[in-house]
Amino acid sequence: MLTRRNFTAALAAGAALIATPVLAQDTLIINSFGGSYEKTHRDLVITPFEKEYGVTVKVVTAYSADTLAQLRAQKENPQFDVVHFSGGLETVAASEGLLAPIKPEELSNYGQMYPFAVADIGKGVGPMYKVAAIGLLYNTEQVSPAPTSWMDLTNPAYAKNVLLTDAAANTYGMLGMLMMNKVSGGTLDDVQPGLDFVGKLLDGGATVVSKSPEIQQNFAQGSAWIAPYAQDYAFTLTKAGLPVKFVQPKEGAAFAPITVNLVAGRDNRDLALKFIDFSIRAEASKGWAEALRYSPTNKEAKLPDDVASQVVYGEEAAKNLVGFDPIKIGDERAKWNEAWKRLVAR
Amino acid sequence: MTGSRQISAAIRSRREPLLLLGPGVAVLALAFFLPVFQMLVLSVQVTGTDGQISFGWEHFAKFFVDDYYLGVSIRTFRLAGLITLICFLIGFPLAYVMSRVGPRLRMLLILLVVLPLMTSVVIRTFGWLVILGNGGLLSDLLEVIGLTDRATKLMHTESGIVIAMVQVLVPFMTLTILGVLQRIGSELEQAARTMGAGFWQAIIGITLPLSLPGIVSGCLIVFALSISSFITPTLVGGVRLPVLAGSIYSSVTGSFDWNFAAAQSVLLLLATLVVIVPYAMLMRRRDTKAVR
Repeated sequence: MLTRRNFTAALAAGAALIATPVLAQDTLIINSFGGSYEKTHRDLVITPFEKEYGVTVKVVTAYSADTLAQLRAQKENPQFDVVHFSGGLETVAASEGLLAPIKPEELSNYGQMYPFAVADIGKGVGPMYKVAAIGLLYNTEQVSPAPTSWMDLTNPAYAKNVLLTDAAANTYGMLGMLMMNKVSGGTLDDVQPGLDFVGKLLDGGATVVSKSPEIQQNFAQGSAWIAPYAQDYAFTLTKAGLPVKFVQPKEGAAFAPITVNLVAGRDNRDLALKFIDFSIRAEASKGWAEALRYSPTNKEAKLPDDVASQVVYGEEAAKNLVGFDPIKIGDERAKWNEAWKRLVAR
Repeated sequence: MTGSRQISAAIRSRREPLLLLGPGVAVLALAFFLPVFQMLVLSVQVTGTDGQISFGWEHFAKFFVDDYYLGVSIRTFRLAGLITLICFLIGFPLAYVMSRVGPRLRMLLILLVVLPLMTSVVIRTFGWLVILGNGGLLSDLLEVIGLTDRATKLMHTESGIVIAMVQVLVPFMTLTILGVLQRIGSELEQAARTMGAGFWQAIIGITLPLSLPGIVSGCLIVFALSISSFITPTLVGGVRLPVLAGSIYSSVTGSFDWNFAAAQSVLLLLATLVVIVPYAMLMRRRDTKAVR
């Protein structure tokens, strides 16, 4: 019914709309990664945020590298309010001054986060709204008992069925290499032990692929039994009907941060901060674990048992996540890539 | 009469041909010459530790002193040579048959040869991934025949690359040779046969030499496409068998080293030119001789 009161309200709202066609304070521009990921992102964060605050969020589909390129090009006049990164580019963007620092008191959910997930917000690296854990994927029908250690990769029984991912082309592959390096006694200053470890696997008959679909193909064709890779991808394989499980080895699993960052030089800081705060709330963390098996970074995220067993969950398990210094990685990566290429080329 | 005179007058005036050339030249300039020029500049740009940009041959030097990149180029050229040879061995007989059958059958054969070209090379390569892969058709077949004991791997082998590349490139060889064979006609060959030459003698003595220009340009096309191809060697060969185009790609996307990638691209371009320019010059001399 159109009563006089809400008619007046509607009129006032209409007048306001005409007077200020687009209120910058009511619109946020963000990026997301497209496809089913973006759909989940909308369901968990974007749409509920729009409803809660009565604002519009404009989503531009752009992967991390594209987003960084756009931020660089728009440095004088940035067009994003909030950007999401995966694969470590947030550190690069922050060091170039493209991202703005955040104070702990500006995020109401700060206290609920694992410390590693909000460690660098003062430097401009936004909070990790979840992480991808890099451990071991294995075929449950071929590998028995289940692997418990990175050293199980060297088990001669699977020598010809070890699948490695190109560390020079794939961030998860690189993190896997760094874990193998760590368990063989190497450090970020000396990756030779890791390269030697990989060299032995290659001599034994391991296969190297460069893209994740090839991992699926190799597990499906039965040539891959065990592979260092990401937990969320294990779920992709399980959904495809393959007998594949993820295990967090006892030496720990590496984590790849997936961050939500505040862009520097925008006049929308308050709303953007609300969005970031909204992205890291327990409910969203839980949703990402349920939908795509990313590991929560919010301590309060309560997961059902079946999901909890498929992600890195709980304070004890989270302690076993291994982070590598992203700045060091940035400095060394080109050198590692060259060494890796030489190692794998026949 | 007046109409045709007008047209020839129009062609003689300078403006119209320029107008007609305009769009093509503009596209070439923007999409070819400009990027190639940028690539040339990038390849000799050296950024010092202080961020100062100077010019030098550093990136080229890196390529030549390094065993790894030399190995990559040797593999690229060796495979390209082998692929070209096999394409010729398949393409020439095929083109010969196509040039000698009736027009209707020829049309059908041309269609069969051209049809794969209508599909994206990515799709065709994915087809090969299924066939060559572990537990794939080809490895199973080899096992059944008893040629190999356990599921042979053709994926991630040079043989696999050659097999897939030959399928992708055979149409270029066949169609190029076919064009020349059709112009030769079969009369000379028939004459040779009536003079007592056998079938093979006629082909080797008459048809093959006459179709040499077609064979050479077919080989050049296949060789050039082969050394610069990226998708098929990368997908079938994998990470452990890098070729030049794949190495350029990984320099850009993995190491973000645009200068070194540009230097590798310039070398690849030079290698292609070294093969093609002498041929073009030779052909021009031939043509001018023929006209005289």
